[in-house]
Amino acid sequence: MTKLLDKPLKAFTIYAFAILSLSIPAYYWVVETVWQKELDEHNLIIKERIVSQLQNLSLTQAQFDSVTHIWNVLQSGTRILPERQHFKKSDSTYLVMRKNKHKKHTEVDRFRGLASHIHFKGKRYSLWIETNVEEADEIVYIISVVSLFFFVLLALGFIFLNRTIAQKAWRPFEKTLGQLKSFDLSATETIDFEKTEIQEFEDLHNTLQKMLYAAISAYKQQKTFIENASHELQTPLAILRSKVDLFYQLPELNEAQLQVLEGIEKPLARVSRINKNLLLLAKIENHQFENVEILDIGGMINDILELLQDYAESKNLAIQVRLEARPDIKGNKFLIETLLYNLLTNAIRYTSEDGEIVIFLDSQQLSVQNTGITSLNPAHIFRRFSVSSSEQVSSGLGLAIAKEICHRYNWKMEYAFDTNKHQFKVCF
Amino acid sequence: MKILIIEDEKELAYAMGAYLADENYLCELAFTLEDARQKLACHTYDCVLLDLMLPDGSGLDLLATMNHQQRLEGVIILSAKNSVEDKVKGLQLGADDYLPKPFHQSELLARIYSVIRRKNFNNLNNVQFEEIEINLLSKNVKVKDQEINLTRKEFDLLVFFISNKNKVISKSALAEYLSGDIADMFDNHDFVYAHIKNLKKKLLEVGGNNYLKTLYGVGYKWEK
Repeated sequence: MTKLLDKPLKAFTIYAFAILSLSIPAYYWVVETVWQKELDEHNLIIKERIVSQLQNLSLTQAQFDSVTHIWNVLQSGTRILPERQHFKKSDSTYLVMRKNKHKKHTEVDRFRGLASHIHFKGKRYSLWIETNVEEADEIVYIISVVSLFFFVLLALGFIFLNRTIAQKAWRPFEKTLGQLKSFDLSATETIDFEKTEIQEFEDLHNTLQKMLYAAISAYKQQKTFIENASHELQTPLAILRSKVDLFYQLPELNEAQLQVLEGIEKPLARVSRINKNLLLLAKIENHQFENVEILDIGGMINDILELLQDYAESKNLAIQVRLEARPDIKGNKFLIETLLYNLLTNAIRYTSEDGEIVIFLDSQQLSVQNTGITSLNPAHIFRRFSVSSSEQVSSGLGLAIAKEICHRYNWKMEYAFDTNKHQFKVCF
Repeated sequence: MKILIIEDEKELAYAMGAYLADENYLCELAFTLEDARQKLACHTYDCVLLDLMLPDGSGLDLLATMNHQQRLEGVIILSAKNSVEDKVKGLQLGADDYLPKPFHQSELLARIYSVIRRKNFNNLNNVQFEEIEINLLSKNVKVKDQEINLTRKEFDLLVFFISNKNKVISKSALAEYLSGDIADMFDNHDFVYAHIKNLKKKLLEVGGNNYLKTLYGVGYKWEK
């Protein structure tokens, strides 16, 4: 994943590199042209000076010959040679590479030359003026080095500016992101975003604010609805149950009638349980059960196991309790009891006959392991009604409630499956 | 024995009344707080069953008044709210028991039974059923003056049956009585049968009669 800010940086850098690369031949061309033009001018000036000085000197032919001879030997940049008649040329400029005869190593220099002619006493002499020019590869090399230097400077500048801009301009965004990450819908509190000067962020904040309000109010409505609905159901359920109990008392009921009654009683118990648990969930979410005390979890586990003994025995389960430490945990007694009940009944219910349950407790964690065959889907098990159980009694809410209670106390609830063992772990 | 049922859900009140009426209980019904106040002003009862949410106020207010007047009735709170706060508050205000709705009638009867026993100091804690003698406090059981050793659950079962004598009690009601809320969470209530079997065996061993009738594996009935 790339960061948003690195994307333009990369593009900018590539663009800068391309432009600077293109600039190398352009610079070369400019330097070369300007330089050659200047040198041509320079050579012309020298020629004109030679011509005018020659006239002023008013040499004899012999003198002229000896001067030009010496001149040609000493000043190899300028040569005056008698021109052959048949080889009449107009003035021209040229580039030539020459070995430096005066140096040991074979260095090649480049020269800009002017091939022209002068007249002395009616005779035509060809005049060669050559001036040293920087070699093309050297120019390219120097320009490249300079361009590279500026490219590095540019890239560093980009990175620096990018960082500064990122830190400054994106700070509100980072902050918003942080707030959103820690947002907890069940706390039903909206986020107060910081005011910013930047239009886009302000828009973002306003939109988010609206969304959060909508989400929170929907969440609240849902919660109230569940609570009200289960509340309303409570009384009819109580009436139903009492009527079934009364029905049992009718004289001379036969077996078929009793079976039907039992068939009514079982789903009725299940509905009552679901309803009770929904109400409980709503209450936990509404932050009831505020009073907190220090609890001896180890003792509570033993008490609950005693109650559950009958069920464990009827399935012939081996229950092993390992209390490594007996931490005093702060929490609401009812909630912690419910948490333990749900975890333990869950383990007993879903372990097949002759299975094994290991309960482990130390100062950091409580884990309940039970034998199983295949892993459950950890993404779903803590959701309401997610366990599609063939059992008639499961309310499908036990683990959701356990999770909610852990959430309430900021404990971590984890599920793992390892070598035929389900493990539910609560990290205090 | 006189019972006052304060419950605004008439159907529920009638059902409770009907269930209790066959036993030695004489039931009166009150559907509102005002109604209940008037009845309490004229009569005394052995036990009051009190719903907390009444159309004209909270049952807790009535409880406070009764507590203030130092009335001797045993009070059992019946509440659909099932809130820990209400329970604590109710018990602080002098209620003797708290039963969350929905409940089994047999459970209610057992609670009434023990509340009345607890309240009637003169009646001691001894319960006699034919040749069986039970001390509720020390949890001793004697059959024909011979003491028998019962486990806690067997003892609870015996008391439950005797307080629900002549009633048909379903297996799930029994399971719920023995293991509380947890009973709803399991399909299999076969362990109830094991406890009952043991209880029966212990009673018969010392020459007691068998009063427990099994109804097609669905329910039980304790009768003379």
